[in-house]
Amino acid sequence: MSIDTHSHHDAHADGGHHEPPEVVDGRQRMSIWLFIAGDALTLAALVFTYLYLRGVNTSGHWMSMVGYPGPQLPGGHSWAYYSGLDSLPEPTTVVTGPLSAGLNWLGTAVTIISAGFIWAAERALRVAKNKSAFTLLAAIGTLVALAGIFISFHQLAAVPQILSVHADNTVLAFTAYGSSMIIIIGSAAVHLMLLVFLGVGLTLRSIRGAISVENWYQSRLVRMFWVWVAISAVAVSALTTTINTIH
Amino acid sequence: MTTTLEHKAPVIKHEGGGLARHQNFLTGLIGGVAGAFIAWAISHHLLAQDVRTTSDAVAVLTGCGWIVGFWFGIGALNAPFAWLIGKDQTRKDQLYYAGEDQGTKRYWKYCTDHKVVGVQYIVMTMVLLGAGGILAMAIRTELIVPGNHFVDQQVYNGFIAVHGMLMILALIVAVAGPWGNFVVPIMCGAKDMAFPRLNALSLWTLVGAAGLLLTTLAVGSLTMGWVVLAPITDQAAVGMDFFALAILVFTVSTTVAGVNTICTVFTMRTKGMTLERLPIMVWGAIIAAALGLYAFPYFSLVEALQILDRTFSTSFFIGNGGGTGWLQANLFWLMGHPEVYVILIPAVAALFEIAAVMARKPVFSYRTAVAGMVGLAGLSILVWAHHMFTTGWAPTLGGPFMVTTELISIPTGLFFLVLIGTLWRGNIWMKLPTVWMFGFIANFIIAGITGIYLSDIPIDNQLHGTMFVTAHFHYVFVGSVLFGAIAALAFWYPKVTGRFLDEKLGRISFWLAFIGVQVTFLSMFISGLRGMPRRYASYSFIFEHTNFLTTIGAYMIMAGMLVLMAAVIYCWNHGEPSGSNPWHANSLEWLVSTPPPLENFDVLPVITEDPYNFEKEMVLS
Amino acid sequence: MTNSNENKKSLKSFYWLWAILTVLGVAASLYAPGYLMPKSMSQSMHLSILTMVVFSVAAAPVAAGVYAAALYILRNWTHKGDTVPAAGPAFRESGKVVITWTLTSILLTVFLLIWGLGALAADGAGSTSNPLVVKVVGQQWVWSFEYQGANGTTIMSNDLYVPKGREVLFHVTSLDVTHGFWLPQMGIQVDANNDTTTDLRVTPNKLGTFDVRCTQFCGLNHAFMVTQGHVLTPSAFTTWLNAQPARS
Repeated sequence: MSIDTHSHHDAHADGGHHEPPEVVDGRQRMSIWLFIAGDALTLAALVFTYLYLRGVNTSGHWMSMVGYPGPQLPGGHSWAYYSGLDSLPEPTTVVTGPLSAGLNWLGTAVTIISAGFIWAAERALRVAKNKSAFTLLAAIGTLVALAGIFISFHQLAAVPQILSVHADNTVLAFTAYGSSMIIIIGSAAVHLMLLVFLGVGLTLRSIRGAISVENWYQSRLVRMFWVWVAISAVAVSALTTTINTIH
Repeated sequence: MTTTLEHKAPVIKHEGGGLARHQNFLTGLIGGVAGAFIAWAISHHLLAQDVRTTSDAVAVLTGCGWIVGFWFGIGALNAPFAWLIGKDQTRKDQLYYAGEDQGTKRYWKYCTDHKVVGVQYIVMTMVLLGAGGILAMAIRTELIVPGNHFVDQQVYNGFIAVHGMLMILALIVAVAGPWGNFVVPIMCGAKDMAFPRLNALSLWTLVGAAGLLLTTLAVGSLTMGWVVLAPITDQAAVGMDFFALAILVFTVSTTVAGVNTICTVFTMRTKGMTLERLPIMVWGAIIAAALGLYAFPYFSLVEALQILDRTFSTSFFIGNGGGTGWLQANLFWLMGHPEVYVILIPAVAALFEIAAVMARKPVFSYRTAVAGMVGLAGLSILVWAHHMFTTGWAPTLGGPFMVTTELISIPTGLFFLVLIGTLWRGNIWMKLPTVWMFGFIANFIIAGITGIYLSDIPIDNQLHGTMFVTAHFHYVFVGSVLFGAIAALAFWYPKVTGRFLDEKLGRISFWLAFIGVQVTFLSMFISGLRGMPRRYASYSFIFEHTNFLTTIGAYMIMAGMLVLMAAVIYCWNHGEPSGSNPWHANSLEWLVSTPPPLENFDVLPVITEDPYNFEKEMVLS
Repeated sequence: MTNSNENKKSLKSFYWLWAILTVLGVAASLYAPGYLMPKSMSQSMHLSILTMVVFSVAAAPVAAGVYAAALYILRNWTHKGDTVPAAGPAFRESGKVVITWTLTSILLTVFLLIWGLGALAADGAGSTSNPLVVKVVGQQWVWSFEYQGANGTTIMSNDLYVPKGREVLFHVTSLDVTHGFWLPQMGIQVDANNDTTTDLRVTPNKLGTFDVRCTQFCGLNHAFMVTQGHVLTPSAFTTWLNAQPARS
């Protein structure tokens, strides 16, 4: 068969885009809404998981586990010290508490502030037509999001670990509540990493001229997603700092 | 002839493409293997050896190394990093990525031309179906007589799970992949899809996911069914981790493809192409894409949680820590039921299209067809717990889920109305696509009715977990979806290749497959009714006759598929030439040349009516 | 005028075909479930088989209609010869047909739902206040059954024994992974989960042996997780129970 791979259009010498930016932007905005929708559905599934695990644990197992508190065997001894399972002390029910609400809201506040900077950056470019202000504000917003990632890691480190005893081994395990917080905080961290990538992109692209006063559209696309992440952070903080007691 | 100062004509060098000039499937494989090895070496070294979860963590990180390396090697990461540093694609780059002047080489590359992606999806579908089919033959050979030892029992248990997973993935893309990509943009009157690079990404990410899935077989496999219920997944070998990661990766592929399809149809239709003038196939593509966007996040979440439970000792599904297997089942089926309609709807939409063209009549009640697909998609979100009737979870919810599930028979019935109404009093052209379509009709009614049995709780209490269920969904997937996918292949094959799929070979494969399906799965219904549970490596002698018949039927289906595959391969370059509009249809893909030009249309057409007026033959002016 | 008479006349063969296929389908529906399914030993199983019959009878005309239509289309309206077929009638819409079809399918669905919900309620009702309690423990890859013996002792058995005519309440659980506790001749099943206990009730109404099979994939020997059940007369059951050694 003959393969027709020739395009019937001449390449533009200036490497310009084939279609006007407003048309491309309309398409890209729809895709951002769809990605936000997909992200929202994933968030809904996360919330479902969180509430389901709390709902089934009516006798307090949501925040407790049978084992030993902390990463060491009792007395700080090694597994070999307790030769044979019989000589291990009786495992107890270790009850943990909710994670720090302050740190939770701090992380969300940081996300909101970084979104604020990005929104301000977009306004500076689109309305005030000030590209250098845009570059500066976008860079600051990115750094603030980066701080948010460190806060997430701090939160993750604070999730209590319990030494759960199995016949052949012990493992540091997490309660159902702890597990839910791990996936929620972890998801927040991954979103922030994506935002940092986008923010670095905005900053560098502005410096290199790929974003300009005439071609400002991508700053809006990024802002849309950034603001969504901030909104979802508020929703998640509201849920996990209120519904976080054993019932 | 002049001698020294001969002035050569300037060679037109296409300088676009950059790094992509050197990237293809081979570099992708190299990158993937290298990435996997590096990740394995680092994680193996850093993680404590005596911890229960280490081998799973190493497996997950190795798999991540594979996919990142593969993406890097195939060129998927070029554009994001170019974007990051502010270096956009030039027009020359775009044309290079679209495969301009690269001949058949472009099929091995990260090519953004939707027609190339469509052909690549045909290949991937056949690869996945073929791999799943080989496993099916092994399964049926094991079950040909009771107490057989064709394969080791644990290997057999792995085969049934991986067979299921491969076939599900194959069928998700079987119609939406090749034809959602090749045909739908042209049907809309567009030059390409909305996001050509995302198009290539969705295809090559599927390849990466398939790599992980095939690796599963080699590392202890998946031995608890493709539904990977907790808590038995806690006993699984590292094959489970590769599977879970494959799903996470696959979700990227399918999300990106879904967004692309929806944006294309809503923003790139040519002038005059109102939603009501769209070929019905396009509606199937966007409805399935939207449903997939709803459903697949659950899948990626549940597999992420499985990975966390296995590598991080979290307790989502482990009772000791307050988790429960029922959470896994709920999350899984929240995805799992809509997902079967993501599989079915594109096939049905393609059949509506084929029925209209082959009967030379408009689609009967176009609005009912659309409403039926929308209704089916919407209702499918509300039925998931009918997979959990016998788990003991929420007995009070049994009634409501029974209601929602039985209601699904209404939009499903509308599909028969549209198909039969389209064919009624038509002038039916009995060619290969039509033949497979009639096969669909015969099989789908059995699939649908047996589903209604299972939706009824007193019956489900008896038949859940038996071969009756297996036979039901094989009538859906093999008897209906596969037949629809093959009809679509036979229908659009001439547009892709310029040649007909051989009619004689096609009919032989049809009769082998059709009779094979009845023999295989009717006898399987009987096995289930008589009391044989599913996922059995062996069985009581009272089931031996029906199982023997099932295996014979399976061999017939395989024979039919081999004949079909031979026809597809042979006719690609040696089949009877078809011309660019062999079916004398009026939708835009038939009005462009075969093969279509790189950007489909020299001048975008203006549409004034839908493509179902067969009184006259349209041409592009 | 003659055309529409012709149409009506030729449609008669369609209706005949539909009727014949329906009769065949109904006949198969009446006979097949009882023949193919395990012999009923409880009211639940009887109801299950009866529901299969009712649903099949209701489905028979639907399936017959689709097959009759397909065969009729193939008989009358296929294009003969090698030429491109001419256009068929450009018939795009018929509100009457769509509404009739949709209403019929709604009515049929509602009927099936009423039957199904009724059967569900019938199955659940009639629980007695003094059932025989049996604890069912599933583990990879055996079933074991615990009874309350005299004086609070626990009796364990690998086969399931139940008395005829008395309701049995099963408390089903698992020691490891999820199993499926299925009594094919009784028409009931429920999963055995390791983090909870699920309940199942049945009243056996026939003497004899039955199967206990696992329907939830549970690992290597899932296919061999089978045991025997026995329905005894109440006195024979008491004799058996008293003869078992106490476990605790």
